[in-house]
Amino acid sequence: MSSTTAQSGLARARRGVAPGGSGTVPGKRRSKLSAQATRTFFWLLLPSVVLLVLIHGYPLIYAAVQATHDGNLLQTGNFIGGENFATVLTSPAFWKAAQFTLWFTIVGVFGSWLVGLGLALLLRTKIPAGNTFKVLLLLPWVVPIVVSSTAWNWLVATPDSLIPSLFRNLGLGTPLFLADPTLASITVMVFKVWVSFPFMMMMISAALASVDSTVYEAASMDGATRWQQFTQITLPLIARSTYISWILMTIFCVNDFPTIYLLTGGGPVNATTSLVVLAYRTVFQDFATGPGVAIAFLMTMTLVVISVILYRQIRKSSVE
Amino acid sequence: MSAVLHAHPESGPALGVDAGKPRRVLSEAGMRGRWWRFTLILAITAVVLVPILVTVVLAFTPGPNSTATGLTFENLSGVFSKTLAATWLKNSLITTLATVVVSVAVAAPAGYVLSRGRSKAVSGYSLLLFVMQSLPIITSVVPLFILFAGMGLVDNLLGLTIIYVGSTMTVATWMMAAYFDSIPVSLEEAAWIDGCSVFGSFLRVVLRNSLPGVLSTAIFAFLLAWNDYLVAIVFLRSNEIFTLPMGVQSFFQQNATDWTSVMALAVVMMLPPVIVFATLNKYFSVGGIGGSLAGR
Repeated sequence: MSSTTAQSGLARARRGVAPGGSGTVPGKRRSKLSAQATRTFFWLLLPSVVLLVLIHGYPLIYAAVQATHDGNLLQTGNFIGGENFATVLTSPAFWKAAQFTLWFTIVGVFGSWLVGLGLALLLRTKIPAGNTFKVLLLLPWVVPIVVSSTAWNWLVATPDSLIPSLFRNLGLGTPLFLADPTLASITVMVFKVWVSFPFMMMMISAALASVDSTVYEAASMDGATRWQQFTQITLPLIARSTYISWILMTIFCVNDFPTIYLLTGGGPVNATTSLVVLAYRTVFQDFATGPGVAIAFLMTMTLVVISVILYRQIRKSSVE
Repeated sequence: MSAVLHAHPESGPALGVDAGKPRRVLSEAGMRGRWWRFTLILAITAVVLVPILVTVVLAFTPGPNSTATGLTFENLSGVFSKTLAATWLKNSLITTLATVVVSVAVAAPAGYVLSRGRSKAVSGYSLLLFVMQSLPIITSVVPLFILFAGMGLVDNLLGLTIIYVGSTMTVATWMMAAYFDSIPVSLEEAAWIDGCSVFGSFLRVVLRNSLPGVLSTAIFAFLLAWNDYLVAIVFLRSNEIFTLPMGVQSFFQQNATDWTSVMALAVVMMLPPVIVFATLNKYFSVGGIGGSLAGR
């Protein structure tokens, strides 16, 4: 059974019977069950709600307070309205970080998507030991960033590291991967793609697995070229997963801290400082809590909008 | 060259044009195509795994002051004797396992409500969880730091665990809900008719049949807690409270030239997630939320 039929079956199941819902349970029984269900639901949900309020709700409100006050890590300070936001929005460092975050996100999302798509398509054909490769290729996603960033450091950090030496021996000069601002930005982005492509590969593989191969046989009977098959069958069929994975990867990239911070620390000369790194440094290194939280708050607002739109879209497409 | 490629029409974008020919005639070329793709994927995998291979090889290579030849375990025993590696490993294991247990215990019941509930409040809560998981953790970290400082939970493994549970809980709930969706309500109805309560059917019918869903959620929580660096760097101060990410990082910063020891410690940190992944990769769903979104 393909997972598309599984999905529509699910959608049907979700619209169908539920505790207290439109089931086949006789009327009197149903209302009794319904009241009981509501009570049970309340208790089942309670721990989750308490945690959500404590770990997400309270901090968000407190962050709003901090962003509008001139306090520090120890006290809240005086109310200063939008001054922190003004400070942040007029500082060149903020816009530089915003610009880097944008590039980092664009390369992170589409770079990992392209690599993931290529590998998913390749792994879909019959290859000896195909499953072993699939598992091995997921390792960059599984290995902790602390570990992989250390390994990447060993590979590229100094002029005598393995990869710069390789370039030198090929007569390509000695690139300073983490010391040159442009090269450092590129290195961090390549590192991000290396970490993230397994996510894309898995999302696309799952979508491809649900495509019936007879569709392709029929298409090639009708004389469709391979490129036509790809653009007119494969791409539309993985469109939904692709859309979801793009938005999720956007969120992952914007929120990323360790990939950047552990490889370059945001340097050289702030070339790889993203908004999260900037917010972290502003609060915990410059001890300017208000502006730091204001940066985080601006990101939060942007992400709330993105995720609400995504949620609506997905809900719409799965209810159909 | 097209003969090689079109032997497998489902292989996606390729350059072959005359795809109309029957496949079976080309089985020999098909075999050649298979090996060609095998070589390609082998090369790609080898390149991709270089950073991981380098870590492992260096960890077992004799250090600069060593007399050992070939592969050696002395780096590994070295980091355990000259650093607090054992303590860091223990701290990481405690926090991670506590996070896994508590987040599944919180997410499973909540996921059940999300899956079975029909009211506006339930779908609103589902949206709320989704929005919360997408927010940068740096926003909540500062207020939580102040709150926890007052409660003595800074530089404290319990404080760290509470935050991990809070941040895994959103996605974990979604993952559990997506799995519960696949368990037919009719199974529960039979139990209700036999006089079973809703809570009873959740435990005995739904949860009992949800081991794969629970495992996926547990793996997700495990990886998040084990790999976290941002929360750890903000909340942990003293060496003996460090979790492994902090331990590896501080050791690396102090001994950046002692690569064999750094890598030995890195292998210690890498091993648990790789073991979990190797044994349970059937249940591994990348990114957690990705699979549940696609499925719901």
